[in-house]
Amino acid sequence: MTHIACASGVDLLMDFLEGVLPANVNAALEEHVAGCARCAAFVASYQATPRILRDATEATLPADVEASLKAFLRARTTAFKNP
Amino acid sequence: MVVPDADPSDETLAVRATAGDSSAFEAIVQRYQARVFRLACRLTSDTDAPDVLQDTFLQVYRHLSSFRGESQFGTWVYRIATNAALMHRRATARRPADSLEEYLPQFDDEGKHTATPTELQVVSHVDELLDRQVLADKARDVVARLPDAYREAFVLRDLEDMSTADVAHLLGIEQAAVRQRVHRARLMLRGYLSDLLGVKP
Repeated sequence: MTHIACASGVDLLMDFLEGVLPANVNAALEEHVAGCARCAAFVASYQATPRILRDATEATLPADVEASLKAFLRARTTAFKNP
Repeated sequence: MVVPDADPSDETLAVRATAGDSSAFEAIVQRYQARVFRLACRLTSDTDAPDVLQDTFLQVYRHLSSFRGESQFGTWVYRIATNAALMHRRATARRPADSLEEYLPQFDDEGKHTATPTELQVVSHVDELLDRQVLADKARDVVARLPDAYREAFVLRDLEDMSTADVAHLLGIEQAAVRQRVHRARLMLRGYLSDLLGVKP
């Protein structure tokens, strides 16, 4: 069985979560995380990071920006000529 | 009897728009404007996003006839928006990207995490521990601080929820390179969020 330390395990994390690691490396990493509270906590927070940032950077199109876009395209294209 | 197509596909709209049907182009704009604006905010800033939005749809209009259907129409629009955002950043760069290396996880000589499990876990709850607006401001700021290559890959893969294969196709790089860039971005951003809570990464 391949030995994996926390640091080398972290290097493999994205490939691990995407399921592209060779089977023996995947099994070694699974075993390490199962027995390492630090890595289990790290994996949880690593997986939470995209969700937290996705929620925090959500943006909705303001009405004035939409109106400016239409006016811009009306001036430069054949679209939005008819209100 | 001809039944009007109530919800034509992107590709159908693109064909009609290329043939000069301006209402088809308007429908494309309606369908994608909110998503392109959100993408532009994430790749540039709230201030710059309106210009990127305009540039994107002007480019879409001008290049519709070159859409070959080799990728999904949405991916094609996203590629144009991503390029428009990059051009805009280069034109208006206010400051160089500064290093986020300090937020990478820390290990001892044996390669073990130096932080405790509790410290390593706390990032998972940052959205419950910080004020929503404070977190939103900090999130936008730190995503903008990522190197361009990392930000593009992270925003498309993790914030816009595209597949790794689609991001690779859009950026014209290998899937392994997408994974490597997204991984580095996640590590830096995770550490940054941890630092916001006063906890070492």
